[in-house]
Amino acid sequence: MASIDPRVNRLPEIGKPGLIQPKAPLDQLGTFEVFVQPKEGKPFQHEGSVHAPDTEMAFVLAKETFTRRFTCSSLYVVDTRDVYVSPITEGDRNVYELIHDAAANDHEKYTFEIYHLNKRGKQHTHAGTVSASSHEGAMAKAKQQFNSDKIIYNIWSIRTDTIRFTAAEEMDLWLTLPEKKFRDAADYKGGEKLKEFLKKTNHA
Amino acid sequence: MYGEGNTFEGIKNDGLAQEDPIQLSAFEARIDRGEKIEPTDWMPQLYRKQLIRMIEQHAHSEIIGALPEGTWITRAPGFRRKLALMAKVQDEVGHAQLLYSAAETLGKSREEMITDLLSGKSKYSNIFNYPAFTWADSCFISWLVDAGAIVNQLANSKGSYGPYCRALERICAEESFHLKYGHHCVIYLAAGTAKQRAMFQEALNRWWPPMMHFFGPADKISAHTEVLMKWKVKMSSNDDMRNQFLDMYVPKIWELGFTIPDPKLKKNIATGRWEYTEPDWEEFKRVINGDGPCNKERLEVRRIAEERGRWVRDALRSPKATYVSPLA
Repeated sequence: MASIDPRVNRLPEIGKPGLIQPKAPLDQLGTFEVFVQPKEGKPFQHEGSVHAPDTEMAFVLAKETFTRRFTCSSLYVVDTRDVYVSPITEGDRNVYELIHDAAANDHEKYTFEIYHLNKRGKQHTHAGTVSASSHEGAMAKAKQQFNSDKIIYNIWSIRTDTIRFTAAEEMDLWLTLPEKKFRDAADYKGGEKLKEFLKKTNHA
Repeated sequence: MYGEGNTFEGIKNDGLAQEDPIQLSAFEARIDRGEKIEPTDWMPQLYRKQLIRMIEQHAHSEIIGALPEGTWITRAPGFRRKLALMAKVQDEVGHAQLLYSAAETLGKSREEMITDLLSGKSKYSNIFNYPAFTWADSCFISWLVDAGAIVNQLANSKGSYGPYCRALERICAEESFHLKYGHHCVIYLAAGTAKQRAMFQEALNRWWPPMMHFFGPADKISAHTEVLMKWKVKMSSNDDMRNQFLDMYVPKIWELGFTIPDPKLKKNIATGRWEYTEPDWEEFKRVINGDGPCNKERLEVRRIAEERGRWVRDALRSPKATYVSPLA
């Protein structure tokens, strides 16, 4: 291919394109949900999803996709299939009205991370951790512990042991972010140069 | 960055008559209250279809848009410019990831979207079918094409679909650096040598016609566009966005002493609207349909990347994977 882009000129020839075949299902791999803690002490919030072959790669791609630019103190990922989702409500309907009350005999085998949607259009944010034996049980426990007069529209429950957390020795991943000034709009102040230029041209 | 591309063709049967009237009125009431629509909500087929088309085109535009600017990474003037341009191009590719995910929540898989990009069925912003001949072209893109994209994206971020709005808010926050970087580059060319000034003037001459195409032809007001505006899918008319762009950036271009290659361009003080030579919409159509200077190269680069990466994806794919839509 003759291009003005030297990188394109270095690409190998791969033959004439035939009819483009539809991609096979899962060619782009499965999805993982990404949760970010923007600052120490702030709750984790859902940021979006990435496609990856496993949780380790999902973690790497999530770091690149969601925490490349703005402050981050911690990050975790979980397979989309491991997130249990409640119904969604609207207006003044609290979704906890649709959740059963906690059974007294829940054996509490696992811990679960509970996420709330506080406003439609916003991100789900971490409400807290509960112990239960199932997702249904976890939502019931959440109703006991986190339900207030505030309207919640949607609840997610994630079993803690399915999450790929940031390890203690990885906490320094984001330490150099503030030094990367070349990604900061404030690093491109053209005002002085512009003023100098205008002064010169106005005199000319 | 993004251009609406405006390949919204009218849909012959919008299916509205077949929608459940009770569901439809609850859906419209939610939008009227200013509440966002989330992926698991009921929505009309037309809403889903138009949003998929719009978000998918936007995602493709980010991926393809990385190519003309990327042309100058290897030859950026100096380390600082190179670092910034690499970071910017990486941002654009990252934006595509966010947008593909938002479109996936509506039920079109990423595999289908990439297939449709490669086969030419899905479009992307027309402006990226033009080549970046010199460093100044890449500066024009960084400053003014991104500026146009921000006008468009800010409008769309007030739309009704939750996942798209969230993606756009993040994108707009990241793009503020692109705009400042682009302006910085152009100020330095303007204040530079006669040769540098001439280089930017030439880039401006080349890119002005596609820039005027960028927001698409004037909208035909039809029942179809009215319903999309009511549902907050289409947030601003193409002419309004073009006018807003001209309002914000023509004075900044003139301030630097450059000439915009359109003798008719001026602001009508009485109407507050810009007047200009009608862009050549025949050329716009011709290029969108595949006959532009770079269409073939853009898709070929994507096709090679997909083919060369296939063995990696095949090797990595877990037999336990199953397909689900991302959550939000």
